[in-house]
Amino acid sequence: MVEDDADIQKVIRMSLKMKGVSEIVVVDSGTECIEKLGGFTPDVILLDIMMPHVDGYETCRRLKENPATRPIPVVFLTARVQKADRDRGMKLGAAGYLNKPFDPMTLHDQIVAVLTRHESGEKRLPSLKK
Amino acid sequence: MIGERSILDSLGSGLIVLDAEERVAFLNRTIADMLHASPEYWTGRPATDLLAAMGHYALPVAAPRFDWPDEFGSREIEWRDAETLRYFREDSSPLAGKSGRVLAYHDISHEKAVDRMKSEFISVASHELRTPMTSIKGSVDLILSGFAGETSPEMQELLEIAQKSCDRLVRLVNDILDLSKIESGQLKLNLERIDLTDIAVRAICSVKPLADKTEVRLRVDRPTALPIIDADPDRIEQAITNLLSNAVKFSPPQAEVVVELSSDGSWVQCAVRDHGVGIAEKDLHRIFGKFQQLSEGRRRGGTGLGLAITRGLVDEHRGSIWVESRVGEGSRFVFRLPIVSPHAPNPPALAGQSTQ
Repeated sequence: MVEDDADIQKVIRMSLKMKGVSEIVVVDSGTECIEKLGGFTPDVILLDIMMPHVDGYETCRRLKENPATRPIPVVFLTARVQKADRDRGMKLGAAGYLNKPFDPMTLHDQIVAVLTRHESGEKRLPSLKK
Repeated sequence: MIGERSILDSLGSGLIVLDAEERVAFLNRTIADMLHASPEYWTGRPATDLLAAMGHYALPVAAPRFDWPDEFGSREIEWRDAETLRYFREDSSPLAGKSGRVLAYHDISHEKAVDRMKSEFISVASHELRTPMTSIKGSVDLILSGFAGETSPEMQELLEIAQKSCDRLVRLVNDILDLSKIESGQLKLNLERIDLTDIAVRAICSVKPLADKTEVRLRVDRPTALPIIDADPDRIEQAITNLLSNAVKFSPPQAEVVVELSSDGSWVQCAVRDHGVGIAEKDLHRIFGKFQQLSEGRRRGGTGLGLAITRGLVDEHRGSIWVESRVGEGSRFVFRLPIVSPHAPNPPALAGQSTQ
């Protein structure tokens, strides 16, 4: 989870924990996200857009530019809800685009739905689906 | 005695008079300077030459909303000269007895800049508001789900109030953002070839959960086939959804709301009819205004912007919208969309073409 707001981090964490997702690595900047990814490969990256320095768009661009991180699905979770914002995010190769405020009761299902749609042609589905 | 020419030359606004033969009868200094030629140079020349020269500089921002040249009309144009970009409002009025036409150009660059700043501010503010709203809504929803332990019935009731208000706040922020885009002319239509029936069905599906709460029945009444039109499907769905959810909100339980679709060859029409409380005649004129909801609407959780947005969306498609209503009998909100594309060229006054 790449999210710079500590309160929203907690809400996302609890919302996913409620659905049985226990392993969540939280970083609060795009730079930190890129650095951290050297060590492990998450099933999915939940990415905020409006963050200082390196924003979500730039983070996604860099992730998709690097062959090592390109296959990791990126789902934007953002307050930028306008169509132009969404189009920009999806053009960068994101698997999905979810709006804030989100419904914590269905966030997990929405992520899974987005990933299923995105990966319908692929064999590997993230463990988040279990 | 001060001459008429010097008076008109001193106007801050540009002025062009065309005679009945479509020749330049008069052109003031302001517009001549903008065209880098003297008024004398242009006087007596065909209007088409002048319009062609202006066409190098001027581009309509939006399609004109008048049938040139017999009516009064107004539109915005962009004026590009070397490095500078200015905005003008072009007013066109016929001279008495159709003996010609007056075109006046008012510099509105400053107003446009202020508009743009206002709309940028609203856009940023709406993004910023979403962050705390996400935390509030997320926390309240999670507590209500029982995730954080049991809540007493009183706590539950209070949290539900917070939840409902938060959802309303989200709708309000969404609506303000939409309306600001419409008003600043920044709404971009993604036109597709659409069948209004499909869009109406989609809108009904999205309103159905709301209608189910009070067992209101939704029905489409349509001819076998409607002409295909060029329109933005998402925006038209938004317009119909707004009208439908209003109709449902104001309908008594188990009533029927009907979407009537029709066409007369040059228009397709969509009417949403309910058997709700109706609107008093004295309120009809302001129903499409911003924050003009009647007290009943406020009580039912409306934002007061839905109809203003709906009208804006229909206007963007060069359509028209109106309401027919009687207190106690219900309301019928109707909009029409032209079958020709909203982006089809109108006879331009400034594109360097002759008139039709």
